[in-house]
Amino acid sequence: MRNTFIIALLSLSGLLAQTAPPPARPTPARPPAPRPTAATAAAVPAYKNLKFPALKPIPIPPVDSVALPNGMRLYLLEDHELPVINGAARVRTGNLFDPKDKIGLATITGMVMRTGGTRTKTGDELDKALEDIAASVETGIGESSGSVSFSSLKENVDPVLAIFHDVMTQPEFRQDRIDLAKNQLHSSIARRNDDPGSIAQREYSDILYGKDSPYGWQMEHATVDAITRADMLAFHQRYFFPSNIMLAVWGDFDTQEMKARIQKLFADWTVKQQPVPEFPKVTSKTAGGTYLAVKSDTAQTFFSMGHLGGMLNDKDYPALSILSAILGEGGQSRLFQLVRTKMGNAYNISADWGANYDHPGLFEISGSTKSASTVETLRAVQQEVDRIRTTEVTEDELKAAKDTALNSLVFAFDSRTKTLGRILTYEYYGYPKDFIQQYQKALGEVTRADVLRVAKSHLDPEHFTIVAVGNPALFDQPLDKLGKPVTPVDLNIPAPVKGSLGVPGAAAAGRGMLARAQIAAGGLDKLTAIKDYTQSKEINLVAAAGGMRVQLRDQWMDPEHFREDSDTPAGKISAYCDGQQGWIFTPQGETPLAGPQLTQVQGDLSRLYFRLLISDRLPGRSIAAEDPETVAIAMPTGEVVHLKFDTATGLPWSITYPAVHVSGPEMEVQDTFSDYRDVNGIKVPFRIVIRQGGEKFADVTLKDVKFNSGLNLADLEQKPAPGAK
Amino acid sequence: MIAPRLCIALLLGPALLPAQDFKAFEKKVTEFTLPNGLHFIVAERHEAPVVSFHTYVNAGSVDDPSGKTGIAHMFEHMAFKGTETIGTQDWPAEKKALDVVEEVYDRLDAERNKGPKADPNQVRLLELQLNSAIQAANSYVIPNEFFRIIEQNGGAGLNADTSLDYTEYFYSLPSNRLELWFLLESQRFLHPVFREFYKERSVVMEEERMRIESNPQGKLIQQFLATAFEAHPYRVPGTGWPSDIMNLRSRDAKAFFDEYYVPANITIAIVGDVDPAEARRMAQQYFGPLPAKPLPPLLHTVEPPQTAEKTVALDSPSQPIAIVGYKRPDQYDKDDAVFDCLQLILSSGRTGLLYKDLVQEQKLAVQAQAVGTFPDGRYPNEFIFFLVPSVGRTVEENEKALDDLLAKFMATKVDDETLNRARTKARAGVIRRLADNAGLANLLTSYYANYGDWRKLFTSLDDLNKVTADDIQRVARKYLAAPTRTVAYIRTQAQVRVAPRPGVRK
Repeated sequence: MRNTFIIALLSLSGLLAQTAPPPARPTPARPPAPRPTAATAAAVPAYKNLKFPALKPIPIPPVDSVALPNGMRLYLLEDHELPVINGAARVRTGNLFDPKDKIGLATITGMVMRTGGTRTKTGDELDKALEDIAASVETGIGESSGSVSFSSLKENVDPVLAIFHDVMTQPEFRQDRIDLAKNQLHSSIARRNDDPGSIAQREYSDILYGKDSPYGWQMEHATVDAITRADMLAFHQRYFFPSNIMLAVWGDFDTQEMKARIQKLFADWTVKQQPVPEFPKVTSKTAGGTYLAVKSDTAQTFFSMGHLGGMLNDKDYPALSILSAILGEGGQSRLFQLVRTKMGNAYNISADWGANYDHPGLFEISGSTKSASTVETLRAVQQEVDRIRTTEVTEDELKAAKDTALNSLVFAFDSRTKTLGRILTYEYYGYPKDFIQQYQKALGEVTRADVLRVAKSHLDPEHFTIVAVGNPALFDQPLDKLGKPVTPVDLNIPAPVKGSLGVPGAAAAGRGMLARAQIAAGGLDKLTAIKDYTQSKEINLVAAAGGMRVQLRDQWMDPEHFREDSDTPAGKISAYCDGQQGWIFTPQGETPLAGPQLTQVQGDLSRLYFRLLISDRLPGRSIAAEDPETVAIAMPTGEVVHLKFDTATGLPWSITYPAVHVSGPEMEVQDTFSDYRDVNGIKVPFRIVIRQGGEKFADVTLKDVKFNSGLNLADLEQKPAPGAK
Repeated sequence: MIAPRLCIALLLGPALLPAQDFKAFEKKVTEFTLPNGLHFIVAERHEAPVVSFHTYVNAGSVDDPSGKTGIAHMFEHMAFKGTETIGTQDWPAEKKALDVVEEVYDRLDAERNKGPKADPNQVRLLELQLNSAIQAANSYVIPNEFFRIIEQNGGAGLNADTSLDYTEYFYSLPSNRLELWFLLESQRFLHPVFREFYKERSVVMEEERMRIESNPQGKLIQQFLATAFEAHPYRVPGTGWPSDIMNLRSRDAKAFFDEYYVPANITIAIVGDVDPAEARRMAQQYFGPLPAKPLPPLLHTVEPPQTAEKTVALDSPSQPIAIVGYKRPDQYDKDDAVFDCLQLILSSGRTGLLYKDLVQEQKLAVQAQAVGTFPDGRYPNEFIFFLVPSVGRTVEENEKALDDLLAKFMATKVDDETLNRARTKARAGVIRRLADNAGLANLLTSYYANYGDWRKLFTSLDDLNKVTADDIQRVARKYLAAPTRTVAYIRTQAQVRVAPRPGVRK
């Protein structure tokens, strides 16, 4: 069913199969054609009548486990089938420990730990030494574990183990490989919206875990830029120490001999650290909702729906896994039968009760269908969910699901590597050694009533989160026909701070320029002492923009309370925002601040003139010099503001930033400052010219500016009286 | 020059290994051909009570008749629809209903074939009749019973794959269920039915939308192949052109099956906990009844020589990607091993020249990779370079860097160290692949079907060892040069934003 020639391009694993050498004959070889023979009329039994012999006992290989004197735990398993030796160390760490302003630290540490070389060998030297003998040593850090692994032909194991030791204990994190890794990460960020299927998976997961939590946040250009070599060294030092490591070695060796060898190899490594803390808990609580990410260059809508799942050690997990199998795993499942086979609406459609060892997984129904059958398909899925929550599954379905799970369990034991891996995993997460046997037993005991019970108690379709990625202009019906308002998903990728990419020193230069401007504007002390302000101004829009004149009063309180009252020819408009949410009050009534309006207000807040000047003091902002007159400031939202200085005075000359985007081409906005006046010792521009897309848009003239007049939050939050015109 | 020779001598260590492995391995393999021509390869690995099966049909999308592109792939989907006894509640009645579907469809086609003179009302009426006939036939179906039997018996890795050159069916079972596989696999080819054909066509359309239309890489590859090849069917996407798919008939699938799925055109490997004598007995019992038939015709279309460089751009909101390809001969050419070597030297691991130059040193690309044979190898094909520019870097810069690198590569001969590294990697690669039942079953069938002997899996390494630095330079100069070059790339455009429909909160 798979048509893999496309994927094959990206995978070298199929190399030999595709590129084997020439045969003796110059034309496609085929076995000699035999003479046709009469078909023998052998009786073929019906599949139901086949009698199978009992399955041979599954051999569980003996794993030797020992604690080394330095605290490292060692697990050894002999396997003499091939002349190969492999090893993998599991380290208690993970990107869940990333600092919020340096998301990507664990990932990049895991990359450069190997590529950046060791104290005695550069990354290049390691590459050559290993590839000359077709061996590998690799490192990586995932969500909740890190790994250092090796693979070697038996006779080369000594030099490979030596490199393995050095990579583990003394990685050098050379700068050239840090730059390379950052380039890779920046590129992957820039490419993250190219594939609609992965957008759906990512947004679904991030929304459910919470975009502010380590489980749901993502790497951005600014967070990658913020990571330094010192951060990586510190991260390595904190998590890579003997008593935090489980090392598994398997292959063609003698256990006692290998034990002695590893012990000797790591005898000199005795560093100690505080035990690694628990991983953060999943705390998100989502009420559910429908989300749409617009991607107009796709022929299908890719969707995910569901809510948080559970843990593997939940007593209901066996029943839930049966439930999920009947609902949407494999060719016999209800969703496959309905959406693919009966409706012909999808190639991929599946459900999965996601369970993890140490935190809730995701219950996720996912698939993709042509744009024109989007809502029809999502509805069909919802109906299947309702059906499995209201009536018991059939005896046949239960039996099929159990047989499928129990009969295929042998594949969990079909290689020594899997057995060893499982032992380590159970121990890493504190699960009982016989967890899989317990699970097997519990599976066998699940009843139809159990499946209905857990469907009712664990599936909550009222609070499903639905994420759809596609082209709504071609949908059969608008998504809100599913019964919930649709929240747009912003796919904009916060731009990288230009000039900072691969240019060491750009950040320092940018901070220097900002420091000069702070002095020119009245001093850092005065700027940081501003706790509130009030300003009155007049805005004159040019004729092309409507030729309106607007009187406006802004009030701001530290850190992000903002109110704006304006008097326009169309009436009075008031708006309030606390940085995250707010309201807007127009002659037509009150609405919550949302969408582009909220983005606009949040952007204005972040660009407040005197706040911009202290960007080096505010959390989440990163700074880089772009040229001798300009610094780029990346906001926590990812928006980048280009601040240009007047070289004569050192004061801001202009700022440039992207317009809030609703439709049409992307546009830049430029505010140019002049007429600087002194207010309480602070230089403030009283005239601002706003240009959009290069065309003049408005003139702004300040009438009055007050700092620290003792504003009151209650006044800012006070909504205008109803009916006020 | 004593030092370098000493190095080579040291490197012979790993080179000696495969000969021993090969002998040990050969002892585990049993082969036999049934009187009808069907060939079996059985490899014993008794490490665990599981067994993997791989059926390799020496026919793929290149064999699709013109105007019926996608039929090889469509048949592959049909092979999961069951048999006269599996997947039906009442085969005789279902058969009748399926005949009615075909009869109505014939009348519909006859009307449509009138072209502009077709009566639209008549067409609409027949379409309605067709739909009800399809529904009537579907009412006899036990959906996905074939899947269910395999899954319920613990089947793992169940799938199939239609490539341009070949089609494969594969899965694994607990080894006590060996006979079940024999029964199901033989029945699907002895008594194929073409039920739910027209629904499955829609599923395949969704597959096409997912893999190509919604996937910038998929689209780019399609554009590359359609540009690089003028005449040879490598130019056609394996799933077929959508308009062809939508008009495929069940009889087309049947005709394709009758012509190409003949026993002598099929190779089967069984790898794992299996007794070869028992496998042989069951093979005779279950597959013996397949009637012998003549082999299908070879494909005769030969791609005419490319006389000028070709370029195609794909406008897309995606980040840029480029494919640069050069024409190369088929896998039966005497230089095939040289191409393998070339690929290993240019791009494997972190010592590959492309990675070192474009990715590591110049940071122009995040991925720069050579693929020695594309899209498949039975016919003259392409040696391609797949370039993924770094953020802020362009396709042009990458193309230029590739050109410079190739020019330099052709000007100097590779050193012994580099050549030996490539050989060692190839050997270790083969050894590492012997420990996986499913992967091994795949390799055994593929080498047998393509070269007439599965031992090529090992002996190909000898060919690789004979490749010299002179060979590499000669082949690079001969093939990796204009005018047989084809470039396809994504030209990144800002996404055209669509105004949300009513109901999307602003």
